[in-house]
Amino acid sequence: MQEPRTSAKRMSQTQAAWLLLAPFLITYGLFLVYPFFRGFWISLHDWNLLAVAFNPDAKEFVGFRNYERVMWGRNIEWGFASPFWQGLGVLGLAASAYLRRVDRLSRFNAIALAVASLLLVVLPGFHPGEDGRWYDRRFWPTVGNTLLFVGLAVPGVTISALLLAAALNKETKAMGALRTLFFLSQVLSVTVVTLIWQIMFSPRQGLIANITETFGGTPINWLTDEQFAMAAIVIATVWWSLGIAMILFLAGLQDISKDIYEAAALDNARGAKAFWYVTLPNLQRTITLVVVLQIILHFQVFGQSHLMTQGGPNDTTQVLVRYIYQTGFRDSELGRASAMAVFLFVIMGTFSVIQFIVGREKK
Amino acid sequence: MSGVTLRNVVKRYGNVQVIHGVDLEIEDGEFCVFVGPSGCGKSTLMRMVAGLEETTEGQIHIGARDVTRVDPADRGVAMVFQTYALYPHMTVEQNMGFGLKMNGVGKDEIRKKTNEASRILKLDDYLDRKPAALSGGQRQRVAIGRAIVRGPDVFLFDEPLSNLDAELRVEMRVEIARLHKEIGATMIYVTHDQVEAMTLADKIVVLKFGVIEQVGAPLELYRDPDNKFVAGFIGSPAMNFVKGTVRGGEIHVPAFGASVTPHITMPSDGTEVIVGLRPEHAELDRSGDTFKVELTEALGGISYAYLTAQTGETLIFEERGDERAKTSDTVSLSYEPRRLYVFDAETEQRIR
Repeated sequence: MQEPRTSAKRMSQTQAAWLLLAPFLITYGLFLVYPFFRGFWISLHDWNLLAVAFNPDAKEFVGFRNYERVMWGRNIEWGFASPFWQGLGVLGLAASAYLRRVDRLSRFNAIALAVASLLLVVLPGFHPGEDGRWYDRRFWPTVGNTLLFVGLAVPGVTISALLLAAALNKETKAMGALRTLFFLSQVLSVTVVTLIWQIMFSPRQGLIANITETFGGTPINWLTDEQFAMAAIVIATVWWSLGIAMILFLAGLQDISKDIYEAAALDNARGAKAFWYVTLPNLQRTITLVVVLQIILHFQVFGQSHLMTQGGPNDTTQVLVRYIYQTGFRDSELGRASAMAVFLFVIMGTFSVIQFIVGREKK
Repeated sequence: MSGVTLRNVVKRYGNVQVIHGVDLEIEDGEFCVFVGPSGCGKSTLMRMVAGLEETTEGQIHIGARDVTRVDPADRGVAMVFQTYALYPHMTVEQNMGFGLKMNGVGKDEIRKKTNEASRILKLDDYLDRKPAALSGGQRQRVAIGRAIVRGPDVFLFDEPLSNLDAELRVEMRVEIARLHKEIGATMIYVTHDQVEAMTLADKIVVLKFGVIEQVGAPLELYRDPDNKFVAGFIGSPAMNFVKGTVRGGEIHVPAFGASVTPHITMPSDGTEVIVGLRPEHAELDRSGDTFKVELTEALGGISYAYLTAQTGETLIFEERGDERAKTSDTVSLSYEPRRLYVFDAETEQRIR
C-alpha cells in the first residue's frame, strides 16, 4: 500500500503527543490547577466576597493571618488537656514500636501508625490557657465532627460492603439481582438520599419510629437529638455509598481462585475461618484501596449534614465543608474560607499520597 | 486400614448424570490411577471421594467409615490440585502447616512435621518464601508437602503434573512414585496421560462417560483389555484397528487382504468384528505389497511406519532393526495370530 501523500510537514512523535495531550492539559490547568493556586492566593488576603465583587481593589494582603485566625487563639498552651485522645495516641505509639519489633507490621504500616498516634498526642494537647481563647471557637469542633464522621462512616461502609460482597459472591440470578439492588442507592443524588432518610428517621411517620413503636419503645428524634444526629447522618451515608465499595470488593473476591477455597475446606477452614484466613489476607490491597478512597470521599461530606440537620443540633453535625461554605458564601469571608479549604486539602492530600504509596508498594 | 470403597456411586447435576453407578474397591496402601479422556468423570469421581462434590447416590467408605456425608476436612484425605492451590499470602512453611493449625495442633508439632515434609521434598531452603517466588516444580512440591504434613489416610492427586513442562513432569513422576514407596499410604491419582497411569499405578481404573470400562493392573489392561476403548487407550502408540467379517470359521480382514484365525471362540458367520493389533506386535515384510508406507518417523532406537491399506484404513507399526521401511515402500505384515485382539463391531466388547 502506498502511503498517502500530504503537503503538510510530518509531525514528530513528541509533537503529536503534545497535540493529543493538549485538550486534557488545558482543561486540567484551567479548571483544577489555576483555581487551586488562586484559592491559596485568596487565602492570603482579607477578601470579602461582596466587596471585592463590586471593587476589585477592596482586598488586602494579610499573609498567613487568616490561618492564624482560623486555627489559633490567644494564650494557647500545650498540655495533657484531653487525656483520652492523648492516652490513645501514646498507646498507638507503643503498639507501633512493639508490633514492628516482633515483625507483625510492615515498616510502612508501622510508620503510618506512629505518625497518626503522634498527631493524636500532639494536636488535642493545645488548649487556651488562663484568659485565653480560640479566635474561632467553631473551627476545631467542626474538624472534630468531620473526623468523627469519617471515623464512623469509613469503617461502616467498608465492613458492610465487605460482608455484603462476600454474601453476594455467587453466580446465581438472585445474587445478580441483589447486587444491582444494593448498587442502586449509589446512583441516587444526595438530595434524594437525604429525603429518603429524613422520612425514614421521622419520629412521627418514619419506618424506624414505626418499628420502635411496634415493639413498645418511644421513637427517637434522630435528627434533633444531639446523641443521635451524627449517627443518623452516618447511617444514611453508609447506605448511600455502599455500592462502589461492594463492587470493588466483588472484583477482589473474584480474583481469589476457587481452588484455594477447596484446599482450605480440606484443611478444615470453612465459613468464617476461611473468610478470616483466606479471604481477608487476599483482599488486603482492595481493602486499603476502599478505605483510602472512602476517607478522601467522606472528608468532603456536605449534603447530608446540610440537608438533614443543617449542622445542628447545637453544631454537633457541623462539618468542615459546610463551615467553609457558610464562611465563604453566607458570611462572605472568602479569605478565611479559603484558608480552611487549604487545610482540608492538606488532610486529603496526605491520604492521597498514602494511597499512591500503598498502591505502588509490592507485597 | 484405610482403603477406599465406592458402592454404586452416582453424581447428577440437575438432569445431567455424569457418574453412573460406580463400584470400586481400592486396597489400603494401593496406588490407584483414574484415567480416561476429558469429560469422562474421573476428576468428579475423585472430588466426590474428597467431599468437594456431593454424592447424589451410593456410598463412599474410607477404611471402615462411611464418609458419604462427612465434611471434606473430616475424611482423612489430602488433595494435591492441578493448579497447586497454594495460599498466596503464606510462606511455604505456613502453607504446609495451615491444615494442622486449623485443627488445633501445637506450634512445635507443626514445626516438626513441616520440617520432616520439607526434608523429604527438599524444600528446606525455601521455607520462608511465598509461592510467587517459587518455580512450578517447587510449587508442586509444596502442594505435595501440604498433603504429607497432614498425615492423611488417603492422598488425592488431581492431574498434578499437567502444568509442568515435559522434563519436570518425568522428574516429579519419579518423585511421586518414590513418595508412595516411602509413605505407603493409599493414593488416588487422576490423569489423562496413559504413560503416567502405566508407570505409577498398582491399579488402573479406565473411565468413559462416567462408567468404569475396566479395572486392573497396568500390564493386565495392556495384555487383556475387555473392550476396544481400553485396548485403544492403554498403550502408546495406540492399538491398530481394522474391520473384519466372520466367514466359515475364519475372520476375513479386507485391509490385510487375507483371512485370519485368531485363538478365540469364533462367533457365528456374518458377524461384523474389529480386529486389533498393537504396533509393537508385528514386523514389516518388505517383500509384500499389502500396504503402502505413507510416512516414517525415526526416533532413533525406534521408527514408526504409517501404513495405508487398500481399504483406506491406516495403521502404525514399530521397527527397531537396522533395515527400516522408507516412505512409499510397499510392505506386508508378519505377526503371531495370538497377538490379534477381536472385538464385536457393534458392542465393541472383546471376543475371547
